[in-house]
Amino acid sequence: MKSIPKLIRRFLLILLLSTALLLALNLAVLALISANQTPGAAPWTTAKEAAAALRKTENGYQLSKEMAQELHSENVWALFIDNHTLNVLWTSDNLPDAVPVDYDASDIAYLTRGYIADYPTFTGESDRGLMILGYPKDRFWKQMNPAWDYDFIANLPKTLLAALAANAVLLLLIYVAANSSLLRSVNPIAEGIQQLPDGQPIHVKETGTLSQLAHSINETSHMLQRQKYDLAKKETARANWIAGVSHDIRTPLSMIMGYADQLENSVDLPEIQRQKAMVIRRQSEKIRALISDLNLASKLEYNMQPVNLRPEKLVPLVRKVVVDFMNMDIKNHYPIVWNTNKAAETCIIHTDRDLLQRAVSNLIQNSINHNEAGCQISISVTAAQGKCRVLVEDDGIGVSSEQLEKLNHKAHYMVCDTNVSEQCHGLGLLLVKQIIAAHQGEVRMGSSASGGFSVELTLPRK
Amino acid sequence: MDYITDKRILLVDDEPELLDMVVSILRDDGFGNIRTAGSVKEALEAAAEFGPELAILDVMLPDGDGFTLMKQLKATADYPILFLTARGEDEDKFQGFGLGADDYMVKPFLPKELIFRIRAILRRSYRDEKPLVKLHGSEIDFARGEVRKNGLRIPLTAKEFELLSTLYRNEGRIVTIDSLCEAAWGDNPFGYENSLMVHIRRIREKIEENPSSPVSLVTVKGLGYKLMAKE
Repeated sequence: MKSIPKLIRRFLLILLLSTALLLALNLAVLALISANQTPGAAPWTTAKEAAAALRKTENGYQLSKEMAQELHSENVWALFIDNHTLNVLWTSDNLPDAVPVDYDASDIAYLTRGYIADYPTFTGESDRGLMILGYPKDRFWKQMNPAWDYDFIANLPKTLLAALAANAVLLLLIYVAANSSLLRSVNPIAEGIQQLPDGQPIHVKETGTLSQLAHSINETSHMLQRQKYDLAKKETARANWIAGVSHDIRTPLSMIMGYADQLENSVDLPEIQRQKAMVIRRQSEKIRALISDLNLASKLEYNMQPVNLRPEKLVPLVRKVVVDFMNMDIKNHYPIVWNTNKAAETCIIHTDRDLLQRAVSNLIQNSINHNEAGCQISISVTAAQGKCRVLVEDDGIGVSSEQLEKLNHKAHYMVCDTNVSEQCHGLGLLLVKQIIAAHQGEVRMGSSASGGFSVELTLPRK
Repeated sequence: MDYITDKRILLVDDEPELLDMVVSILRDDGFGNIRTAGSVKEALEAAAEFGPELAILDVMLPDGDGFTLMKQLKATADYPILFLTARGEDEDKFQGFGLGADDYMVKPFLPKELIFRIRAILRRSYRDEKPLVKLHGSEIDFARGEVRKNGLRIPLTAKEFELLSTLYRNEGRIVTIDSLCEAAWGDNPFGYENSLMVHIRRIREKIEENPSSPVSLVTVKGLGYKLMAKE
């Protein structure tokens, strides 16, 4: 669950970056507005224009009509001071009373950058004198031009950069602090959730803002543990039950099988009775196979059978099974044909010897069980790229393609909960599937070239 | 092979009917010296008195278990033990812990399976005092380690002796190439199959009348060999 810290980090980063961006945007807008308002643009120019627009006529000084209009519309008063005499040569009609009409040099020095009676003043000169415009009191912010410290202006780029850097560092600190505090509370929760699927018991500390979440996770873990325990108990009980039943059947079956075999071979009995004994013996052998298959299959299903995979040569393992069958089949009803290629001789696989032998043995037994009239069984072990194959085929009655479809795809009644009414295949083949699955191999059932049944086991090579 | 059926066998099982059946199986095969017991106590008494040469024990007994009984029996005299068990899971114990049992059989079993196990254990444990194996056209004298053919005595090498002994213990049955290699060279991951073929050819030269078409030491192609005695 690395994604949660990543998510938080990204979220915070986006938040901080957008803050910075917003700030920059605001600054830019401010700069744009203030650029439009720079002093010197409007009032200074107007003053200069007004100075130029003042003409000397016979009736004294006269402002041009347009200028007078403009000044009037902005409610601006004006006066004109002679360069040499410092006398006021002209004033506009709307000159407030508070404005003096005598000036000396110091007054002029003051008003060029300042105020007269609180009216912000702007000056424009002409060759005769100085035009002074007085704006309404609330038209401009009162600001004496301050004398900026030289160093301050000189170092401005550096200062700005430093400020920027300081801001960046501050942002980073905020980011780290926010991130770590968030992660501190989220991380245990994330870890807890991450560990849930492992099936191990989890305890997350139930403190902090997310304590409720932590509590829920602990509850979930507890519940999972309990379910797991219950399930294991149930499965153990089921497997033990099967083991118990099969154990209790074994001893009585020993006697049925033993005496039936003796009767079958008894020379004192007529042939017909011996035939009957043979049927009993054969059927009890089937029950025997069923019991041990059932026991092992249930153990494998409920993970009670240890599967010890060790590197082993495949050919000797299969050979042993085949020879055991040949030694038992004295009447040669089920002749076995054996095939291996040179490559297979050296084929080593990771296998649980007993289980794999059981699988091969079940396949041979399967052919025997389904072909009471006898059949030829051929067994071949071959090796290919990264794989070993064991093929068990017979030339017996075989299976229809629908049956084959079921065998390959339908689950056994022990495995599937639904569809119990449907005919499922025997335990023997289920066991083969389970064993081969424990070997990470594959089972493919099909028809042999002669129309019989064939099963191919594919096992990964070591 | 009569020396085997003379051996004293002690049978221990808490089911009297099973005891009866095993006794009848053994008698059918010619075994005559049989004693039965239904509990650990009876078994110890019978063993002290009877001096068995093979004990066949049930794992679960009313007053104890077969494994403990085996240790008690082996404490006084060393003879082979065959276990009968009704539990599939006991297989792990026999294989995993090396308890000193010579073999085990899971119930139910066919008479011929039981007889084969018993004979194999006895042959492994007790040498025939007069082991003269008659073949078609020759005889193997295991006591002297030689083959008698056409009035000649041909000595067997150590490996040939091992191979023939193994084949003889499984007489009439196929012995896999792997079992033969293991008998002669031990458990080795590298096959000695080519060496085995050479030795088999030499044995045939000694025991067969016509080594190129053998009748006593038969090849089962790709799987193993089988020794066929005359009878």
